[in-house]
Amino acid sequence: MNSKTPRKNPRGRAWVLARRITQYAMLAVFCLFFLMSRRDGGWPPELVNLPFRLDPLAMLAHLLSSRTFLAGSALALITVGLALVFGRAWCGWICPLGTTLDLIPLDRLRGDRRPPAEGWRQVKYLLLTATLTAALLGNLTLLAFDPLTLLSRSLTAAIWPGLDRIVMAAEKLLFRVPFLSGPVADFDAFIRPALFPAQPVFVRDALLFGLLFAAVIGLNAFAERFWCRYLCPLGGLLGLLGKLAVFKRTVGEDCPGCVLCTNACPTGTIDPQKRYASDPSECTLCLDCLETCPRSRIEVNPQLKPAAWQPYDPGRRAFLATVGLSASAVALTRAGLLERREPATLIRPPGMREVNADVLAVTQCIRCSACMRACPTGALQPGVFEAGLEGFGAPLLIPRLGYCDFSCNACGQVCPTQAIPPLDLETKRLRVIGAAYIDPHRCLPWADGNECFVCEEMCPLPEKAIQLRERTDGQGTAGIRVPFVDRDVCIGCGICEYQCPVNGEAAIRVFLPQVPIPF
Amino acid sequence: MKKLTRREFLKLAAAGTGGLLLEQMLSACGMQPPVSAPLPTQTALPFVPSDGSQPLPTETSTPVPDLVVVRGGEPEDLVRTALAAFGGMQAFVPPGAKVVVKPNICNAYNSYEYASTTNPWVVGALVRLCYEAGAGSVSVFDFPFGGTAADAYQRSGIREQVEAAGGSMQVMSNLKFVRVDIPNAMVLNNTNAYQDALEADVLINVPVAKQHGSTRLTLGMKNLMGLVQDRNSMHAIGLGRSIADLAGLFRPELTVVDAVRILTANGPTGGDLADVRKLDTLIVSPDIVAADSYAATLFGMAPQDIAYIVQGAAAGLGRSDLNSLNIEQIQLGG
Repeated sequence: MNSKTPRKNPRGRAWVLARRITQYAMLAVFCLFFLMSRRDGGWPPELVNLPFRLDPLAMLAHLLSSRTFLAGSALALITVGLALVFGRAWCGWICPLGTTLDLIPLDRLRGDRRPPAEGWRQVKYLLLTATLTAALLGNLTLLAFDPLTLLSRSLTAAIWPGLDRIVMAAEKLLFRVPFLSGPVADFDAFIRPALFPAQPVFVRDALLFGLLFAAVIGLNAFAERFWCRYLCPLGGLLGLLGKLAVFKRTVGEDCPGCVLCTNACPTGTIDPQKRYASDPSECTLCLDCLETCPRSRIEVNPQLKPAAWQPYDPGRRAFLATVGLSASAVALTRAGLLERREPATLIRPPGMREVNADVLAVTQCIRCSACMRACPTGALQPGVFEAGLEGFGAPLLIPRLGYCDFSCNACGQVCPTQAIPPLDLETKRLRVIGAAYIDPHRCLPWADGNECFVCEEMCPLPEKAIQLRERTDGQGTAGIRVPFVDRDVCIGCGICEYQCPVNGEAAIRVFLPQVPIPF
Repeated sequence: MKKLTRREFLKLAAAGTGGLLLEQMLSACGMQPPVSAPLPTQTALPFVPSDGSQPLPTETSTPVPDLVVVRGGEPEDLVRTALAAFGGMQAFVPPGAKVVVKPNICNAYNSYEYASTTNPWVVGALVRLCYEAGAGSVSVFDFPFGGTAADAYQRSGIREQVEAAGGSMQVMSNLKFVRVDIPNAMVLNNTNAYQDALEADVLINVPVAKQHGSTRLTLGMKNLMGLVQDRNSMHAIGLGRSIADLAGLFRPELTVVDAVRILTANGPTGGDLADVRKLDTLIVSPDIVAADSYAATLFGMAPQDIAYIVQGAAAGLGRSDLNSLNIEQIQLGG
């Protein structure tokens, strides 16, 4: 590589080094927040959701959709302020997804392929417009494409569980080697439950969320930082603010024009036709250009004049069409034309459903996955299309994979937008999320007359929502008691379904209650 | 992207196959074939069938009781008094021994006052006595079914007391469940049991006495279920006999039934103080069946009412006939 690249500009080198250090530090901080957002021995919940509070797109969309102002969301003004001074420096210096894309550039796959047409750059603005229009109409589904929630969801639902499984497999293998079993056991005690859960968590759609993340990275094969250039709605928001930014990249009058910076620019915004000027809405202030500039003609200077609207930026017509289309799309999902009838298994985290209406999941959940990360049993899973298109990425409780722990209220505590209300433990324990129903055709005592009491044993309620009684219909085995559910007591925590020893689908299952959930 | 040559492809394929073979080889010839259960070790008191035909050792003038019941004192005093009656903890814990203390920490729901988890001061006092007797290490663990282990250790108050006593509170690792055969088992011929408990020099079993839906009471023998991975299948093959099989596998050197508070209804999880009775009682015996048999009487039941006690006695793991036991009753504090 070095033989091909000319001598590097020392001033640029220092700046690029500083940027890389900042990027890696910020990625490390994001991962640290992710790691410390586990429940046992992690950081306090109001701290671990800080990254999402710094995200102006998520906070603005939540404000529009919920019409509630959360004091913590004012932190996003820091990022807005940063953009008004340094444009998209967030994207080049801070964004953990941007850094991930830099770390996996796929430049060998890309080869000499030309990037897509410049017009694609407007997609991010249109996605931003659609996100905010939908938010105004009470729908936050598109926040699933916010870079922070996307990264967090990918980590929670795919990368971390996958890594857990790989590490466990390696540990199991090495544990069998006699002289290694001691150190491996020590290592295991060191990482569990500190880094990975003590009991493995199973994510239903890990493959889907893993592939989505791989696709975002895979787009690098078509253009460097494809996601940031063309798609990222947060990038779009910061790009718009960047047009007003105080500091902008400028090129000296005496630049002889060597095209090195144009080739180095990761967002491809340095235009040789315009005297190597760049668009502040696209420039991430990464300063790769300065590093390659043989004459150090590139400066970042204060310029109070707003940047020009570019030909590839969306026009009034595209903007209005997007507003109209997204409004219609929200109306369509609202009309229920695209969804099935609401399935009876649509269990939400405690307090997320109001008066039997599944509203908060759509209007307040920013799809950040913090609740799923905090859930100690792996009960909370990112939804796909169970609640229609608009439920994508919002948390669902899947009792067969994990139960709602009677001693835990973590999901409501970590939720940055109170889509899951921050209930204290006593209140959460009484909050009904579903109701258990026994399938007498599969339940061991009911169907076969065999002894089994696991569900009754597991029921965490002081008065036991599951009672064992002799059958009164004259059937069954004499002396064998069968379980009954007292649905006036049952809260739907699902530990009975989780622990039911019947293979496959449990013989006791949690559904939405027949009567509206009291709120 | 770089193209693979045929040679490179074959090399990679060979390496992959080799890795898989190595994994298979290690598992096959490896270090942990099904471990046979340790031969029943001689507990402090040898088992003698109580058929009444021969004089029982209790009828001779042995100074060591079969079972000690202490009432009416602070938890730590109960433990110290009971162990003193056996001649001190050194009767069970040799110097340098690796000790495992197994309390009942089955859920993370409530504090010790609700009597669904073992009294933390009882556990702490046992850890302290082990160290005073010269134990090399004392580990404490359980496998809760409700909530995480870390959470349950905290809420039960047991972590605090164990660590104050210098013991080590460990979260049980999935790695350390090993397949073991149980010789002469009635129904549970093999299971995945926790290695540290199997390999401990001394296992001290510290259940809390409480009501339980299916087995009626959960006591010492039932408490051993926390040391195996697959408990659900035990329900299917019959809890009474499979619990007795577990007692034969682990053979705890000492069973300490915590009846400082007992849970009389809605166990094993509890959650209502109205179901809790404070008895300030501790039952200690090297004979797990005897300890459970006496504990059953605290609930107004006879040993014969509890299936696993009947099965354990039938299997020769201990004695359930309370009249034949040399029981020392101690009342503290007047």
